[in-house]
Amino acid sequence: MKNIFLKTTLVLCLVFALNNKAKAQCDTIANICAKHIINSFISDGQTYRALLLNQDETAEFHTTFFGETVYRIAACSGMTDGNLTFYIYDQDRTLLFSNKDYKNAPYWDFKVKATIDDVIIEAKLDGGSAGSGCAVILIGFKQATAVKK
Amino acid sequence: MKFNYLTIKSKLAIFGAACILAASCSNDPAKEGGDELPEDTTKVTSNGVLNVNGQLFSIPSPVQTAMLIQKAGAEYDKGILNVSSKSTQYTTNYSKALNLGIYGADLGYVTMYNKSQDALGYLGTLKKLADDLGVSGAFDQETMKRINDNITDKDSMLVLVGIAYRASDQYLKGEKKNDVSGLILTGGWLESLHFAIQTNKVKENTEIKNRIAQQKQSLGSIIKLLSAYKTQPEYGDLVVQLEELQKIYDTIEFKYIYEKPETDAANKITTLNNRTEVNVSKEQLDKIAAKVQEIREKIINPVKS
Repeated sequence: MKNIFLKTTLVLCLVFALNNKAKAQCDTIANICAKHIINSFISDGQTYRALLLNQDETAEFHTTFFGETVYRIAACSGMTDGNLTFYIYDQDRTLLFSNKDYKNAPYWDFKVKATIDDVIIEAKLDGGSAGSGCAVILIGFKQATAVKK
Repeated sequence: MKFNYLTIKSKLAIFGAACILAASCSNDPAKEGGDELPEDTTKVTSNGVLNVNGQLFSIPSPVQTAMLIQKAGAEYDKGILNVSSKSTQYTTNYSKALNLGIYGADLGYVTMYNKSQDALGYLGTLKKLADDLGVSGAFDQETMKRINDNITDKDSMLVLVGIAYRASDQYLKGEKKNDVSGLILTGGWLESLHFAIQTNKVKENTEIKNRIAQQKQSLGSIIKLLSAYKTQPEYGDLVVQLEELQKIYDTIEFKYIYEKPETDAANKITTLNNRTEVNVSKEQLDKIAAKVQEIREKIINPVKS
């Protein structure tokens, strides 16, 4: 009985320590990723983070891209660039862009002519570069000065 | 010897309990503030999509609407903002978090119009509420100094405030306080919608009118996000109000026409060429305005309501 209590306690301590490690890892990646949202872009004030355990898992969220705006999407996992593949879909699930076609570029800009109410952003770990880890996506924006209607 | 062995076990057990206690108590603004906020969970669904309480959520920055309003040529109207001195009325973490979002949007609005003196007032209020919520790191001494040093530089101000809000969001999500983070986003979103509604009332503008109508996705995300906590009375009431607003939004017609995007790989930029149309009537706008005012009133004047 006492052994079970001891083991349970130690397991809980281990879980706590691992949880703290994962949190610290995510914070570090978010700070690295923030360097891609350069000062001409304003942060949307949010960090999108998910712990992806393997390359089959996908982190997904929906957002709105307003017209006459330039958005910057930064996508990071691990301590180096190029570990996270992201996909941008419209509301009909038509693929608009993926950084997979550009060597998993850690950031990309999107000049939006007219508002897309429902944009779907997906992120996956790249098969070749990372096994598992924290995935972070950041969004910045600025007014588009020369978007033709 | 047996006695010593048990003592070691006892010490380990105490250490373990201390670990668990530390995990449950560390940096927990809800408990510091007295009114408990619910825990949230992270889970992986069967289709492999990793979710936080069902999904990750994104709400556009309120600064984007403030930018549109200023660009549309609307005059500065301090009367549409929440008075910064009211912050002492917000005594629960629920109320503080929502109003932290509202004041953040107000700061964005005054900054767009280069109203430095008003910006200083809102900054002080933001810092106080952030401290109360345990997210003082987002508005620490260094950040406050940088913001103060750039108070007359609109572009730098917007960048710095965006960074501060992101730091707060990062901290809250790291601490699994998605509910607090969600309330801050909700407050900011609601206030920016309120700016757009009030500005459009003074002088009708198609772009602003469309912006009011284009909030369906954001509203849906907010409802999903807050619904995870709706067993708590305050959250439940807010979700019901937002669902009523959603019913009005459901009547607005949208048309989306896909056009092939163009990518300039050298400059890492893709132009999204789609076209969209939105049909929103005056009646629909009036209903949205009335509902938004009702929800906002309960948030900014919690004592009266």
